[in-house]
This record gives sequence, structure tokens and C-alpha cells, in this order.
Amino acid sequence: MYFRKDEFYYCHDPVKKCKTGDIVLIQALPHKMTKLITHEIKDVVYPFGDITDPVTGKKVAKAQYREDIEKQAEIYGKLDSGFDYNKAPARGWQDGKKDFTSKPTYTKFHVFDEEDPYAV
Amino acid sequence: MIPPSALPEEYALSEEIKNASEAVKQIFSIEHRGKKEYNKLVQKELINRIRRHQYDENTAETRIARITGHIRCLQDTLEKYPRNVKAKQTAQELIDRRKKLLKYLRQYDYKKFEWLLEKLNIVYKAHPESLHKLSRKESLRKLTEMHCEDIRQGKLAEYKNLLESQQGPFLKDKIDALKLIRSEQIELQLPITVMEQDIKKVEQQYEEWKVKDDLKQQARKKKKNLLLE
Repeated sequence: MYFRKDEFYYCHDPVKKCKTGDIVLIQALPHKMTKLITHEIKDVVYPFGDITDPVTGKKVAKAQYREDIEKQAEIYGKLDSGFDYNKAPARGWQDGKKDFTSKPTYTKFHVFDEEDPYAV
Repeated sequence: MIPPSALPEEYALSEEIKNASEAVKQIFSIEHRGKKEYNKLVQKELINRIRRHQYDENTAETRIARITGHIRCLQDTLEKYPRNVKAKQTAQELIDRRKKLLKYLRQYDYKKFEWLLEKLNIVYKAHPESLHKLSRKESLRKLTEMHCEDIRQGKLAEYKNLLESQQGPFLKDKIDALKLIRSEQIELQLPITVMEQDIKKVEQQYEEWKVKDDLKQQARKKKKNLLLE
């Protein structure tokens, strides 16, 4: 039987390069920073939800290339209402407006004057 | 969202209705066709906002838009009849299903996910790590913790204020003492240990403190005035 094995690394990231879910490159620090922190983040390889196929270098959405999706739309008769990848702004433009995922949510425990959007 | 004078799908393209009188138009409008027809139009309008092509019916975006339309209609009913339990349950189920679809869309296409939130005016919050029913004890514990933390921070800030207020007089004394030491060392022709630079450094620190203190005093005055008013 096959059992998946995970390893956890605590990494130093002072400028907050990465967000939850990103695939990143890490490097061992010459000296341990603390008891836990042993590595630092070098680079964000694949941002979360913006995946590139490593073999062909093309952008992917689920099991399809984005090109193929565009092609399909063109064959059916593309409409302006569809989503255009080239015009899309960088990730994070809805953060704190409609997309509340940058912090973990928690069970709401009190009704405050100022409501916290991360309380569920 | 949709005006009551809008025409349902099957009459919208008709030539005859365009030239018809106001009364006829009103009779054929969705105002007189019932809630079902209105709901259909709402759904269609939402799907048309994000449609890729004419036959786009079953992609993630369209499914989310369709569910959103259904939810909005149910919410309309709930506003009118808040004790309609069946509608409430259905709305909750649909919201959960939509959340699941949004979760998947976020995983494989983040840009589209954000665009969809903007277009359909949906708010997405991540699933909490543990979703449990809140107990009275937990709530009280958290509130007590917050209160204690407030008190702690307040005391720390007060102490910091006190220490900072003592910095000014100390720096003044330091400048005087350094100047005295230097003049005496020159007078008695001893090796000079206090340089001009050292004194200047301390003077600069004193100036900085003065500016900071002025700002603080002004803020305090403003607060007092506000309280008096």
C-alpha cells in the first residue's frame, strides 16, 4: 500500500512574499533562526490558482490549457461578457473587498460595534 | 434589479409589441406574468453577465451565476414571508453548494474567481478551521481575555509615556554635564574624552524629543477640549 508522507518546514519570510497555497522554493539557512525556523523563502514558483504546466510552460485551468478554452469559445462564437485572462489584474485586487481569504475565519463570539468580516 | 415593465423572453423579440400601446405592453410585462417569469429573467440576466459564448451552460461560472439567481429570488421571498422554512432551507443549501463551487474555482483559477465575485457581487469567506456551535463559556472566556489584554496594553502605554516624559530633563542634564566635563578637561590640560560630536549628538536627541513632546501635548489638549465639550 502507498502512504503519503508530508514534511513540514518553518520558513522565514519577512516581506510576506507568499500567501497560503502558493508553491514556493525554500533554502536552508546557514544557522537555525529559532528552534523551529530552519529555512527561508527564495521564490514563489507557482502562485495559488495560477498554474503553469512545467512541461510545456503553458498556463492551465484545471485539466485544460487556457489556450484551448479560448479556442473553444471562439469556435462557439465568443462574447464580450466572458472572462479575458489578458485584461485580468494581478491577484489580490478583491482582497478585503469581496474576497476574505487572506486570514483564517473563526466562529463569531460576540456582536461588536465594528463587525469583523473574518467572523463567521 | 429588473424593472417590472420588462418583457419576458418570448415577447421581447416580437415586432408587434414594439409598436403596441402602453396598456398592451403593461399587460404583457412580467408584472402580470407572475413571480416565476420574473425569477427566470433574474437568472438569465446574471448568466448573461459572465457568459463565455452563446451555448455556455455548464461551466463553473454559469453554474455559480444560475445558483446565485435562484438564491436572490429565494431571498426576495424570504423578505416577504420570513417564516417560510422551506425557502430558507433551500437557500442555505444553495449557498453551501455555491460556496463549494467557488472554493474549487479559487483553487484552479484564482483570477477568474476574483472577477466572478466582482461581476456577481458575491462575498466569499474561507471555511473556518473548526465550525462549532458557540458556547456561552467560550464567548465569555474570549471577551475576558480581550478585556485583560486591553488593561495590559493600557498600563504598558502609560508606563512608556512616563519614561518618555523623563527623557527630556535627563538629556538636558546630560548636555550640561558633558559641557562641564569638557571645559574642565581643557582647563586642567587633561586628555580630552568628550568630543564636540558627542555633545552635538545629545543635543540633536534633545531636539527630537522636544518635537515629539510638543505633538503629544497638543494631542492631549485636543482630547481635553473634546471631553469638555
